[in-house]
Amino acid sequence: MPATEYQGSFLGRISIRRNQIASMDGNHEQDLEDLEIFQKHVADRFSDLLSASDATADASVDPLLSIAWLRKLLDVFLCCEAEFKALVFMGRDPSHIARPPLDRLIPELLERVVKALDVCNAVTHGVESVRHWHKLAEIAVTALEQRPIGEGQVRRAKKALSSLVASMTVEDKESINSKATERAWSFGRRGSKDRIAGQFRSLSWTVSKSWSAAKQIQLMLGNIAAPRGAESTGLASPVFVMSIVLSFVTWTLVAAIPCQERSGLPTHFPIPRQLPWAQSIIGLQDRIGEDWKKKEKKGSAGLLEEMQKMEKLGQSLIEFADSFHFPAEPERVEEVAAQVTELAETCRKMEEGLGPLQQQIREVFHRMVRSRGEMLDILDQAGKVSSPIM
Amino acid sequence: MEECRAIIPTYEGEEHVVAAAHHMVKALMASKNLTGDFKKILVDLDTHLSTMTILNERKGDELSEVELRLKCAEKKIMNRESKQLMIWDSGSKQVLEYLQAVEEVQTLKESLESLSLNGGEKQKRLLRQAESILQIAMVRLEEELLHILRHKKQSFEPEFASFHSCEEVVVYEESIVSVEDDISEDSSRRDSNGDESKEYTIGLINPEVIPHLKSIANVMFASNYDQEFCQAFIGARKDALDEYLGILELEKLSIEDVLRMDWGNLNYEIKKWIRAMKIIIRVYLASEKRLCDHILGDFGSINPICFVETSKVSMLRLLNFGEAVAIGQHLPEKLFSLLNMYEALADLLLHIDALFSEEAGASIRIDFHKLQRELGDAAGATFMEFETAIASYTSTSPFPGGGILHLTRYVMNYIKILTEYSNTLNLLLKDQNGEDPEPLIEAENAQGVPSQVVCPVAHHLRSIASLLESNLESRSKLYKDVSLQHIFLMNNIHYMVQKVKGSELRGFFGDEWIRKHMVKVQQRVTSYERTTWSSVLSLLREDGNSGSSSPWKMILKERCRGFSIAFEEVYKNQTAWFIPDPQLRDNLRILTSQKIIQAYRGFIGRNSENLSDKHIKYSADDLENYVHNLFEGSPKSLNNRRK
Repeated sequence: MPATEYQGSFLGRISIRRNQIASMDGNHEQDLEDLEIFQKHVADRFSDLLSASDATADASVDPLLSIAWLRKLLDVFLCCEAEFKALVFMGRDPSHIARPPLDRLIPELLERVVKALDVCNAVTHGVESVRHWHKLAEIAVTALEQRPIGEGQVRRAKKALSSLVASMTVEDKESINSKATERAWSFGRRGSKDRIAGQFRSLSWTVSKSWSAAKQIQLMLGNIAAPRGAESTGLASPVFVMSIVLSFVTWTLVAAIPCQERSGLPTHFPIPRQLPWAQSIIGLQDRIGEDWKKKEKKGSAGLLEEMQKMEKLGQSLIEFADSFHFPAEPERVEEVAAQVTELAETCRKMEEGLGPLQQQIREVFHRMVRSRGEMLDILDQAGKVSSPIM
Repeated sequence: MEECRAIIPTYEGEEHVVAAAHHMVKALMASKNLTGDFKKILVDLDTHLSTMTILNERKGDELSEVELRLKCAEKKIMNRESKQLMIWDSGSKQVLEYLQAVEEVQTLKESLESLSLNGGEKQKRLLRQAESILQIAMVRLEEELLHILRHKKQSFEPEFASFHSCEEVVVYEESIVSVEDDISEDSSRRDSNGDESKEYTIGLINPEVIPHLKSIANVMFASNYDQEFCQAFIGARKDALDEYLGILELEKLSIEDVLRMDWGNLNYEIKKWIRAMKIIIRVYLASEKRLCDHILGDFGSINPICFVETSKVSMLRLLNFGEAVAIGQHLPEKLFSLLNMYEALADLLLHIDALFSEEAGASIRIDFHKLQRELGDAAGATFMEFETAIASYTSTSPFPGGGILHLTRYVMNYIKILTEYSNTLNLLLKDQNGEDPEPLIEAENAQGVPSQVVCPVAHHLRSIASLLESNLESRSKLYKDVSLQHIFLMNNIHYMVQKVKGSELRGFFGDEWIRKHMVKVQQRVTSYERTTWSSVLSLLREDGNSGSSSPWKMILKERCRGFSIAFEEVYKNQTAWFIPDPQLRDNLRILTSQKIIQAYRGFIGRNSENLSDKHIKYSADDLENYVHNLFEGSPKSLNNRRK
């Protein structure tokens, strides 16, 4: 594909100058400089994301793993991806790509991309589940915002929140034990087979039962190896950087958003600790990995900040509902009012953020599809693809 | 009520205050030394306060009545709670009674709310009670809703929605629509859809219960439990759609699954997918939309939102499979499937735009259009790669017997099928090529060549044919025997011409192409004759010598013997060669007979004095028979026949 065709699509986003690209062919020094710029950009972008997790007190910063933060993460991914393609493919003779070690590394990257595509789909469906919980939480907010709080509204809120918490647990357990799902589906007040409201089949996934998000991530990470020796200054390096970025973003989405089969999700990435560009990614990975370990023990639906808040508030409000007698003590009412305000605020964030987040996941999906096609074309031109690439 | 609210003070215990004030006014009025003005004020005040007292008493009566009615409704509602049987399974009287009780609670709650500024303890208590009863009723209604949705759901056999005959489906639709009309109050809906003869819907829910669902919706919405209704409704309908995808035998596949799948299985999945797409979008979702309209039509934007929420997950799943196929390898055999998928989506575009016309469905609409484009691109790319594949499909060993190469058959049959997709392909190729006119053909067109010859597809088909020809040319070089090279090319080009002449390809290739290639076949025939038989024939030439001199006799004998050997050699080789086309085979045999046998017969006749039977190994008639064994593809030999 001629370099000019790249121009319209994403050159605007990247900072590598066009004339540098043109002269890159075979210019090792230029390559090195571009690689450094690329790694610096990756480092900068992720360090912005990391600062979110440190500045907990600062309200203007989006908290780690919040919807807004995930959207920033996806933006970072799109930027890195565009820059990666520009660096490795733009203005370069396809035969460069066909040389070792790239003739092996690029197809491996493409395999990872395919796995990431499936994860994107799984996560898109996961967002649908979150949306459903959001609707249930909204019912609780509607009920508990009424004054004075009476038995009817408390029961109404409790019903919605119980569905919410039960459904979150089902969603999560489903990955561990599918029998739990059947059980949860079949309890109804009248002992009939009708499910309690909010418990539906469609929470089941759209791929085969054996598909596992955790396994996909494991496979994506499985054959990533940092380039050594002479390779580390060549094009193997950006491929390595991109593989890590891709795997990290996919992994984060899986940890944050409900997803089919997450048990055994890796908590460690094969990144050499001394790499300067990778410090922020390592930092984020450590933080999220720790959170995930806690999550696995506790069994919550995912690390998405809003979702965890929703679960916590939900449980606390169910407790309130369980011990409710009219009239409620004023301190208790005040306390509940604060929680309801917080839940309403969380709902608002979801209302505003989930749609765009889902849209953005689709955008990432389509971008990866397009890039994969472009890379395959280039490999095709190089004519070195002896074995068909999946 | 309005009046009450205006007069009654808003603080608690106001009854006592009014009573105390009234008492004071009465006491003041009892005093004798009052001015006229003051007295008048007191009298006015007295009247005022009296009215208030009366009103308060009246309100007390009213609250008692509310309490009574509430108790009565509560009894009816709680009564149902103790019963296992679903209300909507217990007869219309029970349903009516229950709905009336709920509506009663609603009305009472509203009137209590309008009094609420009054703040009386009893009133507050009754309001809480009303809300509580209402909540119990709403939970019940939600359960009833789910029960109905679950048990009155109608599945339809995919066969009914077969698309082989539109007539059939329309007839089927007619009957269903007429059934539905009996229960639907507004029959104008059908009129508005009347023009769209292509749209047919079926009842996804037993039509009998649609009014029930509608009444549940109405009462739940009126009680501000619309969120609960929508969540339950969406959930149940989502499940039904998911289940239906199962009935259509769609596998749950990841992109990786699809990319790893072997072609046979994938092709099968693609066929199922195309069928499912058509049924889901044209029949199922159209019906789902109508169901939503029936039940939620009065509730504004909630209606399209519920419809989109119901269909979204399944639509994404369907689109995802298409996506996976589109990004797979561009194998030639996939082209037809890709074109089928592309055309199926093209047919459905208008339906999708209509189903998801609202903002809520924009992302599905956009993704659908995007997928259609991607499938088109993939088809275009696959078509281009097909050309490359032909050129690169080479071999190092000659094709035995000089018959028709499987590549020739494959390519010709392939492009023959392609003509069925010519409209689509023209569209796709125009996009791929940009401006790529063929000036030569353009000029020809001015002279009245049919327009089909100049379309992009025609250009590509001819280019495919010429790629095939050059492939054949280079393959023919693999034969050591030049005659077999000619036979091979004759066979294959003849096959191409036959395929073009006998199919739609004719219009794309044009008569000019056919004529040129028939000439090519003829040239190969001529070349064959010359290469094989010229040297053999030269033995029968008499070079003007005649007479009966003894050296001449010897020469004649030698030539006769040489001819027999040469013929045997040809016979041995060329019986193994193969001309599959009987006409072409006969044609070649006749030509051979005419040339060889006649020359031989003449040679024998003219030299009968000098040649005895001993020297003539084969009679002309023998040879004639032997020529008929040529090109049958089964090697024979004359060596051990007669000595």
